[in-house]
Amino acid sequence: MTPTMYADEVVPCAPRAGTLYDVLELILDRGMVIDVFIRVSLVGIEILKIDARIVVASVDTYLRFAEACNRLDLERDSGSTTVPELLGGGVAKSVGKRKVRRAAESVGDTVRSAVGAGGSDDDEDEERPKKRRAPARDGASRRRRAEA
Amino acid sequence: MTENGVYVYAIIPAGAALPAGAAGVGSPPAPLRLAGDGRVTAVVSEAPPQLRARRRDLMAHQDVLLRLSDGGPVLPMRFGVVAPDEASVTAQLAGAETEHLATLRHLGRGVELNVKALPAQDSLAAVVAEEKNVRRLREEVRRRPGYEANVRLGEAVATALSRRAAEAGNTLLHRLTPLARAVAPGPEVHGCAFNVSFLVDRDESDAFRATVRKFADAHRDRAEIRVAGPLPCYSFVASSGLRPTAARV
Repeated sequence: MTPTMYADEVVPCAPRAGTLYDVLELILDRGMVIDVFIRVSLVGIEILKIDARIVVASVDTYLRFAEACNRLDLERDSGSTTVPELLGGGVAKSVGKRKVRRAAESVGDTVRSAVGAGGSDDDEDEERPKKRRAPARDGASRRRRAEA
Repeated sequence: MTENGVYVYAIIPAGAALPAGAAGVGSPPAPLRLAGDGRVTAVVSEAPPQLRARRRDLMAHQDVLLRLSDGGPVLPMRFGVVAPDEASVTAQLAGAETEHLATLRHLGRGVELNVKALPAQDSLAAVVAEEKNVRRLREEVRRRPGYEANVRLGEAVATALSRRAAEAGNTLLHRLTPLARAVAPGPEVHGCAFNVSFLVDRDESDAFRATVRKFADAHRDRAEIRVAGPLPCYSFVASSGLRPTAARV
């Protein structure tokens, strides 16, 4: 019963409030806290923030950026695409851009997965903050590196 | 009745009505009620057992506050504030009534707009074209390919993407500050180069958003700019009831 109800309640707010992900830190870290009241423990969310930091600063992220950079290079050297063309949108179809997007989105994905803000799979997401997705990505990257 | 305590959503002026159709945290959603008998009132519900920062409850909290702020000034509580019982809520309101009223008056018709700048995901070509350091490291990789060289290149790209987003954010900050009644830096968000909230009168929030969108369109190769709001004034409730954020978490 609940997923339907969420959709009803959330849709009117979405255009102005952005996704939950966009304001998550305000809901969790801003707003009044009254000394005499207690505040719920947010252990799951805090673990998640640490995960995100590891992903951002990781060597895997750097290697993904470098790979994208090198691919961009190859495309340009092939003479089929110039940098201005890439800037003009030609890059939108290129492998390089997709790689960068994947690397750049890793943080957002991690945080989004915590609150399930991106998806329609509402209720199952509740337990997802506990899952640590970074190791899976690391594994995939290691495999890519091994292949290279 | 209150075995899990009383969940507090917001403090509003006495006499303001509960928004129709709003429901609280928990499953099934707890019905909202008003607590307090003075000139300010708290919007509360029963706290659910084992309250955690889960999607359903975060959205319920946010939804209650959005609906309340549509009706007038609101002091939004942070997610997850629970009082032991209703009597302690009433006592707190009575003790801090003057400050709460002053903050409500100060906020008036103000709403919060939050602006973030994230590294532009599609701007790798621009980064290569415009960042000397990235170009140099890329040429090094070409001359002597290897793991270390690739790490250095990737790190330079990541750094450049973040710096370009932060620079765009700071330029935008200078344009938006004159349009706002107050400005508050947001909490650090990993992967986000710039995060600032603005207190803007509700009537002016559309114009504010339009300014942000125009800037965002013109700076797509430097930052992905996002604006959220009008929101309840999470970042502008600096009454004495607010503990400094640095001391928390």
